[in-house]
Amino acid sequence: MLDAIAGNLLKDFRIEFRRRFALNIALSFAAITTLAVSLTAGGVRLAAQTQAMLFWIILFFSAMNGLAHVFTREEEEGTALFLRVTSPAAAVYTAKLLFNIAVIFIIAAVISPLYAFFLNVEVASPSAFAAATCAGCLAIASSTTVLAAIVAKAGSRGSLFTIISFPVVLPPLWIAIGATRAAIAGNTVAEGVVFLLAFSGALIAVSYMLFGHIWIEE
Amino acid sequence: MAITRLVYIFMPAAVILAFCYAPTAALLGETSRLLYFHVPLAWVSVLAFAVSGIAAIVFLADKRGRFPGIEDSFHNSASLGTLTALLATASGSVWAKLMWGSYWNWDPRQTSIIILLLIYSAYFSLRSALAGKPARGRLSAAYLVIAMTVMPFFVFVVPRVFLSLHPDPVINPDMKIHLETEMRLALIVSLVAFSLLYFYLLELLNRLSRIRNAAEVSPHE
Repeated sequence: MLDAIAGNLLKDFRIEFRRRFALNIALSFAAITTLAVSLTAGGVRLAAQTQAMLFWIILFFSAMNGLAHVFTREEEEGTALFLRVTSPAAAVYTAKLLFNIAVIFIIAAVISPLYAFFLNVEVASPSAFAAATCAGCLAIASSTTVLAAIVAKAGSRGSLFTIISFPVVLPPLWIAIGATRAAIAGNTVAEGVVFLLAFSGALIAVSYMLFGHIWIEE
Repeated sequence: MAITRLVYIFMPAAVILAFCYAPTAALLGETSRLLYFHVPLAWVSVLAFAVSGIAAIVFLADKRGRFPGIEDSFHNSASLGTLTALLATASGSVWAKLMWGSYWNWDPRQTSIIILLLIYSAYFSLRSALAGKPARGRLSAAYLVIAMTVMPFFVFVVPRVFLSLHPDPVINPDMKIHLETEMRLALIVSLVAFSLLYFYLLELLNRLSRIRNAAEVSPHE
C-alpha cells in the first residue's frame, strides 16, 4: 500500500516537474491577480478584512486552476484505466490528495510574500497567519480532491469543477478569511484553525469511503 | 394510505392553530405567525437533505440491488429539499424585511441556507452533466454524501461561531423551545404536518418515477 502511494506520488511529481502545467498556470494566475489588485488599490493600505478577503480569493481561484488537473489528466491521457488496474483505489486517492496538498502549499508559499509585498500588508502575528493559511489550504485540498475525481468522470471539465467545488469549499474559505483577518490584526486564530482541521478531517474520512465508488467502474 | 389521511388531519389543524389559537409574540405582533410556517419549512429542508443523503449511502452500499428505486428516492428527496429551502428562504426574507428593514442581511443563518441551496444547485448541475452516463447514480450519490458531510458545518456550526441577529427560540444552545405553551403546541403540530406532507410528496414523486421508468422500459405496452 505504502509503495503504491509513494509510486503514484512520485509519478505525479515527475509529470508535474516535466510539464509544470498545474503550477505554472496557478502561479501565473496568482501573480496576475495580485498585481491587478495592487494596481487598482493604487498604494492605499486596505483594511484587515479586505486584505484577508482578497488574499483568499486570489489563493482559491489560483488553486482551482491546478487542483482538478490531477484527475482530469489521467482521464484525458487515457491512463486512468491503467491506474485502476495497477493501484488500489485508496493508494490513488492518498497520492492525489498529498499531491494536491503540496500544490496548494507551494501556491500559498509563493502568493503570501508576493501579496504582502505588493499590497503593503503588515501581519501582526506571522505565526498565526501561517497557521491559518496552512489549515485553510489543507481544507481546500481535502475537499476538492474527491470532487476533482467526480468531475473527471463527468467529462465536462473546468466550469463544472468550480460550480460543484465552490459551495463545498465556502465554509472553510469563510472561516479562513476570518482567521487570516484575526492574524493580520494580531488576534487569536485557534478557533478558526480548529474548525478548518475538523472540516479537513471529516472531508478526508468521507472521501476515503466514497473514492472506491467514484473511481472503480462497474 | 395512512400518511395521506394524517396529512389531511394535521395540515388544516396546523393552519387553524397558527392563525386562531396561538397568541402573537410580544414586540413581534402578527409577524410572529410566520414562525409556524418558516420553521417547519426550514426543518423539512434539513430532513429532506438528511433523507437524500442516507438514501444515497444506501444506494452506494447496495451491491445486490435490494433497493431498486433508491436512486429515484434520493433525487426526489433532494428536489423536495431544494423547494422547501427556497420557501424557507423566501418566508425568512419577508420576516427580515418586516423586522430588520431589508430582505437580505447576510445573517449567519441566511448565509447558511443560501450556501445549502448552492450545494444542491451544484448537485443538479452535476446530474445534468452526467445525463446518459452509467455512472450517473454513483457519482451524484457520492456528491450528495459529501454535501451531507458539509451541511452540519453550515447549519449548526457557522451560526454559533458568528454573531447572529436571528431569534433563537427553537434552535439554541439550550436545546429547548423557548415559547409559550400555546405557541409551542402550534409549532409542534405545524412541524408534524409539514414532515408528513414531505413524506406524502416524496411517496408521490417516487411513484411517478416508477411509472416513468416502467414506461421507458416498455413504451408500447
